[in-house]
Amino acid sequence: MNTARSAPAGSNHGWPRRWFNAWIARRGPTRPPLTLRYRQIFILPTRFGWIFGALMFAMLMGSLNFNNNLGLLTTFIVAGLASNSMLIAYRNLDRLRIAHTGATPVFAGQTAELLISLVGNSPRSRPGLELALGDHERIVSVAAHGVAEVKLPLATSHRGWLQPGRCRIQTCQPIGLFRAWSWFWPERPILVWPQPAVNPPPLPEGNGHQNGMRNQPETDGEEFFSLRDWREGDALHRVAWKASQRHDTLLARDLRQPRSQDLHLDLARTPGEDAERRISVLTAWVLIAYQQQRQWTLRLGPETLGPGRDEDHLQRCLRALAELP
Amino acid sequence: MTPSISFNAVAWTIAAFLVAALPHLTAMPPWLAVVVVGACAWRLALARRQGGPPPAILRLLLTGMAIAMIVIAFGGLWGRRTATALLCVMLAAKMMEMFSVRDLRLVASVSFFLIATQFLFSERLLYLGYLVIGSMTATIALVRIQDMHAQPSGEAPGAQAGAIRSATALLLMALPVALALFVLFPRLAQPLWGLPEQVMDGRSGLSDDMSPGSISNLFLDDSPAFRVEFEGPPPPASERYWRGPVLWNFDGTTWTSPFFSDAPRGQFVPEGQRARRYSVQLEPHERRWLFALDYPITAPDNATVTIDHQVLNRHPITTLSRYELTSNPDFVDMPQLPDGARSLALRLPEGRNPRTLALAAELRQRHAEDRELITAVLGWFREEAFFYSLSASPLGRHGADEFLFELRSGYCEYYASAFAILMRAAGIPTRIVTGYQGGLWQEGSDYLLVRQSDAHAWTEVWLQGQGWTRVDPTAAVSPNRIERGARSVIDRPGAVFNLDWVERLRNRYDRIQHLWNRWVLGFDHERQRDFLQRLGLPNLSPERIALLMLVVLLLVSAPISYFLLRQVQPTASSPVERAWRKVLKRLRRLNLAKGPAETPLEFADRVERTRPECGALFRPLAEMYCQIHYGGRTDQGGAFLQQARQFSPRKP
Repeated sequence: MNTARSAPAGSNHGWPRRWFNAWIARRGPTRPPLTLRYRQIFILPTRFGWIFGALMFAMLMGSLNFNNNLGLLTTFIVAGLASNSMLIAYRNLDRLRIAHTGATPVFAGQTAELLISLVGNSPRSRPGLELALGDHERIVSVAAHGVAEVKLPLATSHRGWLQPGRCRIQTCQPIGLFRAWSWFWPERPILVWPQPAVNPPPLPEGNGHQNGMRNQPETDGEEFFSLRDWREGDALHRVAWKASQRHDTLLARDLRQPRSQDLHLDLARTPGEDAERRISVLTAWVLIAYQQQRQWTLRLGPETLGPGRDEDHLQRCLRALAELP
Repeated sequence: MTPSISFNAVAWTIAAFLVAALPHLTAMPPWLAVVVVGACAWRLALARRQGGPPPAILRLLLTGMAIAMIVIAFGGLWGRRTATALLCVMLAAKMMEMFSVRDLRLVASVSFFLIATQFLFSERLLYLGYLVIGSMTATIALVRIQDMHAQPSGEAPGAQAGAIRSATALLLMALPVALALFVLFPRLAQPLWGLPEQVMDGRSGLSDDMSPGSISNLFLDDSPAFRVEFEGPPPPASERYWRGPVLWNFDGTTWTSPFFSDAPRGQFVPEGQRARRYSVQLEPHERRWLFALDYPITAPDNATVTIDHQVLNRHPITTLSRYELTSNPDFVDMPQLPDGARSLALRLPEGRNPRTLALAAELRQRHAEDRELITAVLGWFREEAFFYSLSASPLGRHGADEFLFELRSGYCEYYASAFAILMRAAGIPTRIVTGYQGGLWQEGSDYLLVRQSDAHAWTEVWLQGQGWTRVDPTAAVSPNRIERGARSVIDRPGAVFNLDWVERLRNRYDRIQHLWNRWVLGFDHERQRDFLQRLGLPNLSPERIALLMLVVLLLVSAPISYFLLRQVQPTASSPVERAWRKVLKRLRRLNLAKGPAETPLEFADRVERTRPECGALFRPLAEMYCQIHYGGRTDQGGAFLQQARQFSPRKP
């Protein structure tokens, strides 16, 4: 595996951040599966908590000064309320299990969704858990003995393995005075496939070894394969007008290249001004080949994948393309 | 992300505010209260249809108008009532921009503050209910606001009931901490800052002047003025004269205090034979007066005794206060009267009350001796058709003439004033003392309840050899007023409330109130010291008390924390299940914990592998448990229980 990139709030923000992250790591496990305990749970008053504290102080001073015992009692009840709310905020995270994190691969530029699954691990429900990664935040509740899943969006820009940065799980239950929180890092990096080229050149037909660049359209030679729904971009002459009329919807003729079943896709023979562009074109080709259910072989320098036409083969190819140096 | 504001959270927040503001609303001008409630109703209606805030310029304008209303309503005077009314009105104005979690939380938490400020005005037992309901509503509001924040996509049914439950639990569990703090939090022996007298907003009570004929509501006010506990038996009714301001100056209509009324007393008052010790629990009246029986020996802390034997506190009494006094009733006040004092005590305004002056001259001719003259006047009051009545009639320029020769019906102030004028005209130095007289002895609870309606005015004449001597002309007219209290002579309208049982109920309530005052409100610096002394912790410095408080707080919060944070185990349903748990617990003590995903038999395998001698004992148990649990062999239950009881693995 190649070096994984770091996403927002990652670890390469200078030594204070690194030192701090290392300190967190020393306190307990930081990657799922993990169970939050007191060594990993932090707690501080929220901004509202500080305001509330100032209000309590004003009540205390006023009541003390006038020796007003009912005023003092009110103040102390409010103080008890605050201290209980601190305990409950902590309890809401205590023994919560972050079972695993994961994400399905996406193409660069798309938004990945980091899936975090939480196990309540308690006969009490855990309401108002706020999960945050970068600028994105999601709120979730875990029922008693229940499990919950949260999807946190994560923007991607480059192909390769993306290591999402520090995730935060926090709660301000029950009345928003205290914030209890904990940090963890997703257990696995996310695979980001290369971005497929928007307007790729046509597939290299025939024997890739001889004629990888052959690309003139041979509309005459195309053979009718099947009817399918009309898609934007289909040429007008492909529309099956009679069939469309029968079905009250636009149908297009799907055409197949009958002569050469096998496609030979080679990075070295792919057009494009630079390596990334070529990878991008290759990605698009692989996708088109898979879509057209054709058998293809992918050659990336010394490595050769295939031939194959199924989803597994596609996944392998995309992963290999993503991992290219 | 900003969740949308739910109607329910807004409703609870407004409820919290209104409950907290209720006593304040009743104290402010009604039209202002209507404005505050109207703002809340408008916000509620707006929340119902999920409306947005009004434009900023309108908000600013309305807020400015609200402040102007306060200025109009309170005439620009700044006092505590004005401050709390301003707080209420500003919160009502806040309704216009209460559209975020932050604003809602602010209003809900200021409700607690509003509750606390109400206790500056009254701490009666009744307000305990207000405290409970108010803090409950505010807590529910805070929980609902958090719910709204935590469940932005709408919430599960039953969330409302859940919020009420969790708010109740939060408050109930706050009580132990609150009580520990209440008992042990160091109190101030002296206030950090006092309120200047002019910020006081007049409360019912005595005033520092007296003009007979002015409307006085005091006699119809049944609220308690103070309560007294005596060491030993209480004094007889005829000696229960509670001394307040002493008035020397008379301008024809109004009696006022002399310039020296605040001067400290020079005379030494010995303890005497019949010294009376008592402690007084004084309701706040916003003046500096402490009431005492004649004549207080020393002043309590932070107070002085004036030249007229009035006890003056350094600061106005703004909360329920307690003080202890000793009085010597046999003290002779000023055996020699200085000339300055004599002339002041004889001064009368020119050209007033000619008939009274004539009467005084006539009496003086008949009685050369002062005492005889006084007896004759009191006899005249008693025998002529003078009546005691609470109905006030305004008096004109010759007030004493009108009263003595025409009206002949009035309350203590009329008699005291007319009598004093008569005495001064006859050449006897006289001054007027105001205060309270009498009080209701609460049998069983052993304290004397003095109400506002017991307010009284009497005179003191200076006699050769006796010094200042108390003469109460009202006693001559209406002995019942003195012997049985003001309530026995009241001829008030709406006599329904004079029913006996209502009276008894009121007295019973006052006894509870008294206990409340004594143990809760009166728990001050001294009481705290006494309490700790009784616990065997005498003479603790404030730092030590603070330390003790921290220790007790830890002790109190430990079980609460345990209760809150303990891992709740699903309750075991059957004896077999309970026994199985115990077996597992014993193994856990040996660092052999059954994993959550491990079956009993898998676990037994593991035990056998790590601790063979233990496994040999455990495996039959695990097998039996599985058979009972999964094989339906309930007949093995008894045997399982027996073996489980005997299972006691040892540490190697």
